[in-house]
This record gives sequence, C-alpha cells and structure tokens, in this order.
Amino acid sequence: MNKTIIAVDGLRKRFGRTVALDGMSFTVQPGRVTGFVGPNGAGKTTTMRVILGLDAPDSGTALIGGQPYRALRRPLCHVGSLLDAGALQPSRTARNHLLWLAHSQGLTARRVDEVLEGAGLTTVARRRAGGFSLGMRQRLGLAAALLGDPPVLVLDEPFNGMDPEGIIWMRGFLKTLAAQGRAVLVSSHLMSELQDTADHVVVVGRGRVIADASVVQLLAATANGRVTLRTDSARAATVLADAGGTVAAAGVGVLSVSGLATDAVVALMNANGIGFSEVSAHRATLEEAYLELTRDAVEFKAVSR
Amino acid sequence: MIGALRSEWTKLRTSPGTIWLLLAVVVATVAVSAAAVAGTTCRWGGCDVDPARLALTGVQLGQAVAAILAVLVIGGEYGTGMHRITLTAVPRRGVVLVAKAVVVSAVIVAASAAAVAGSLLATRPLLRRNGLPALSMDDGGAVRAAVGSVLYLTLVALLALGVATAVRHSAAAIGAVLGLLYLFPIMAQAVSDEKWQRYLTKLGPMTAGLTIQATKHLTELPIAPWKGLGVLAVWSVGCLLAGGALLVRRDA
Repeated sequence: MNKTIIAVDGLRKRFGRTVALDGMSFTVQPGRVTGFVGPNGAGKTTTMRVILGLDAPDSGTALIGGQPYRALRRPLCHVGSLLDAGALQPSRTARNHLLWLAHSQGLTARRVDEVLEGAGLTTVARRRAGGFSLGMRQRLGLAAALLGDPPVLVLDEPFNGMDPEGIIWMRGFLKTLAAQGRAVLVSSHLMSELQDTADHVVVVGRGRVIADASVVQLLAATANGRVTLRTDSARAATVLADAGGTVAAAGVGVLSVSGLATDAVVALMNANGIGFSEVSAHRATLEEAYLELTRDAVEFKAVSR
Repeated sequence: MIGALRSEWTKLRTSPGTIWLLLAVVVATVAVSAAAVAGTTCRWGGCDVDPARLALTGVQLGQAVAAILAVLVIGGEYGTGMHRITLTAVPRRGVVLVAKAVVVSAVIVAASAAAVAGSLLATRPLLRRNGLPALSMDDGGAVRAAVGSVLYLTLVALLALGVATAVRHSAAAIGAVLGLLYLFPIMAQAVSDEKWQRYLTKLGPMTAGLTIQATKHLTELPIAPWKGLGVLAVWSVGCLLAGGALLVRRDA
C-alpha cells in the first residue's frame, strides 16, 4: 500500500512576473517529521497554501490521501494546519476562537477544552487572543491544528517568535506527534531549528526542490568523506597530497583532508613516522548541509567586499 | 452546511461588537423616526404627509448601521487574515458566503423588527399631538410599510455583505455601500430633467427600495412599492453573486 499522505506534483505558479513555484514536487510520509526548508521567497508558504486549497496553482496537483483539499469533508479531521498565528480576531477569546472552528467540523466544546489543555492554555482560555504574545498565539494555532485529531499536520514556521524554552517544547511536541504516526510537515527558513527534530528534509529554493533526503543521508553527503587531522608536522601535508588527498589548512596545526579515508590517513602517518594528536571524520551539521545546497538558490545574496 | 452555519453563528455571537451594532440599528432607527415626526406638524404643510413613511424615516439611518455590521462580518476576517482559517475549515467557499448571509439575515431581521416596532410605538403619540393622520395596522398599506422596512434593512445588509466580500476591505466596503445607497437620490436631485429623475429613483437601491414604505399617492410613485423592493433585491442578489464568484475564484 502506498503510505504517501501528502503528494505534491509539479506545482507551478506565478504572481505577475515573479515565479513562485517552478515545478515543486515532493511527498510527505506518515510517522515522521518532514522539514520543509529554504530561504525566504523559496515558495514554502505558497506551496502550503496550495496544499490547503487556499491558492490555486497554474498547473500541477497537491493531494492529501489522494484527494484535493477542497474535496475533503470535515477537513480539519484530515489535516491540521497553522499558517499565520496572528490570523485571528483580537477581540474574541482563545476558547471562542477554537469554539467556532470546532462547530464548523461538528466537534463539541469538550474537544476545545481538551486541546486547550494540551497546548497549556487552560488558564488563559477566556482571555482575549489579541493580548497574547506571539509564542502564546503559536500555541493557540497548534491547538487549532489539533482540534480534529488529524493524521496530517502542515505547520508554517511554527518556531517564529518562540523563546528558547518554547523552541525546545515545540521540538518535543513535533516529535511526539510524528511518533503517534502522524505526517508532520514543518517549514522553516532556519535549518538549525530542525536539527534533532526532522527525520527527513525537503530543501527548496526558487520554487523547486533542491534536495529531498533523510537527514542522515544529507549529513553524510555534505561531510563528503572529509577527515580532520591534528598534527604539528610540516611534512604531513606533502605526504597526504602525494597519496592523492586534497589537503587544506583548517586552523593552526589542523588539516582538512578529502579524498582519503580515515584509516588510510592513519596508515600514511604511521608509515612515515609522523606524529598526530587527533584524526577524525568530519561531522557536518544540518546547517552546513543546508548552506551548501542553497548557495546558488538564495535570491538576494549579501554582497561582501 | 450545518457545520458552516453553526460556525458562523458562533463567530457572530462571540464577536463583542455584534450586540452593540444590533442595538445601534434599533436606537438609530427609533430616534430618527421619532425626531422626524416630532418636527412635522399639520400647520407647516404636513397634513398631506405619508404617516408611514414619516414614522419610519429612521430606517434611512438604521440601514447604515446594518450595512456596517454586515461588512464587518467578512471584512473583519480579511483584515486579520482569519478568512484563511475559515476557508481551511470550510473549503467550499460558496457555502461560507451562504452561511454568513443566513446568520446576518437572521440577526438583522430580529433587530429591524424591533426597530420598526419601536418606531411605530414611539411615533404614535407624536403623530396625534402634531395633528397628523394616525397609522392603523388594520390598514394593508401600513402593514406593508412595516414588514417591507424589515425586509428593506435585511436586503441592504446582504448587499453590504456582497460588496465587502468583493472588495475585501472593511473601510472601502462601507464607503462603497453608502455611496451606492446615497448616490442615486443625490444624483436625482442634481438633474433637472424630470424623466431622468424618475429613472434614477427607479434604479437606485435605496430610492426604489424605500417605496415599500409608501401608503399615499401610490399612483404618483416612480415605481410601485413591491416592485421597488424587488429592485433592491436584485441589487443585493447581484452583489452577493459577484462577491461569491470572486471569493471562489481568487487566491485566499
């Protein structure tokens, strides 16, 4: 059985002369957090709006369990979403905001109180949502997304406006949702927010997918077999280069070697009687992988020097 | 559809402005009606006045408040971006607009019934004091004026809902609706040609619609009362259809 829950296929969309989506295609699977990452203006929000039936693409399809969003009955029980936490009428209380949403899906006030508690908002439920901080609004938006207990969650920049404590809470929350078997699609323009949270990442730039891989694969590809060697010997670089490695200085007494495996580097050092204090395979961070992938895709690159 | 209706009703009920605007419809209508009757006497040439029209003058102000309420029902969502949440909850956009139209109609019918009844009660002693003809509810014309005024206010609210759905901005929508209502009578006064005056009066949503209040000199009206209300209904349905078509086609 095909377990794909969200299938985005060949989305194209222009706003006037600006190309927002240029053949965007990817899928989202259940039981894991899929990070949807790219620089601002890469088309993340537009893609999410198309998935949710808010924007119509010029061509291509976005299906949820094989159906377009607009065909879903009681859609909040299929897909929970959070696009803009500020999108609420400020004079309405948090509880009443969720109440009208619940009524639209045939859900009761009891369910509203449950999700309020889950988001830690019970004490402020009868306060006007307009007085909430951005972090509290994000929690309210998450409560709204979970109202229908949906198997799919689509969250646009849920980390925005959260303090460090909130970010840690959110990471745990997202992982719990995925562990319950839900498909979780989370966009972010900061890869570091998704470190240790996303299982899979879809990296986008200029309206199309640049990389679609598991986090493990992505990190391995970026590290690219580089080896870090700590030695005081001036001969080390020559020996490694003669053996076919590409050597670069990576600091005082630190060499970065590519093209040679770790054990080959150790063997060469021993054979030539060169002392070293450390040899290690380079470990890339998600941030590095991301920067490498999006280097060409950033729309407005800062001009240095 | 039932979910959408319950949802829109909960939204309207939990918006703090709603109750005040509904009260304002009643207060504005009754106050202006009473003032209009109080200021008219037989001695100053008021003997020939249409008592139903006079006693329901306040509808001309009440309609502005009813229009504002209807505009805010959707304009308030566009202003905050909440319409996107509404449309993810109810992706069939036509259903959203129909649900809004139903709940707006329900509250405006209730408020205008109170406003019309209040106007008739408040003006009864004033008509007698000023020596003007009394209004009797045994008279078919007076009943038509009263019921018609409730329908008139409701149709104006629906027209405003349609305009606000199309223009997506509260202030612009209120301006457009008030312009549409008051433009025709102003233009009718400005033109000197009588044929054009009658034409504009027949065409304008307010001037045509308010003929429903007439109980005297019916043959001299530019358009018959129910036909006049029909003209307003065409405006309202047209604005709702235009707003609905744009809502369905546009990106949210």
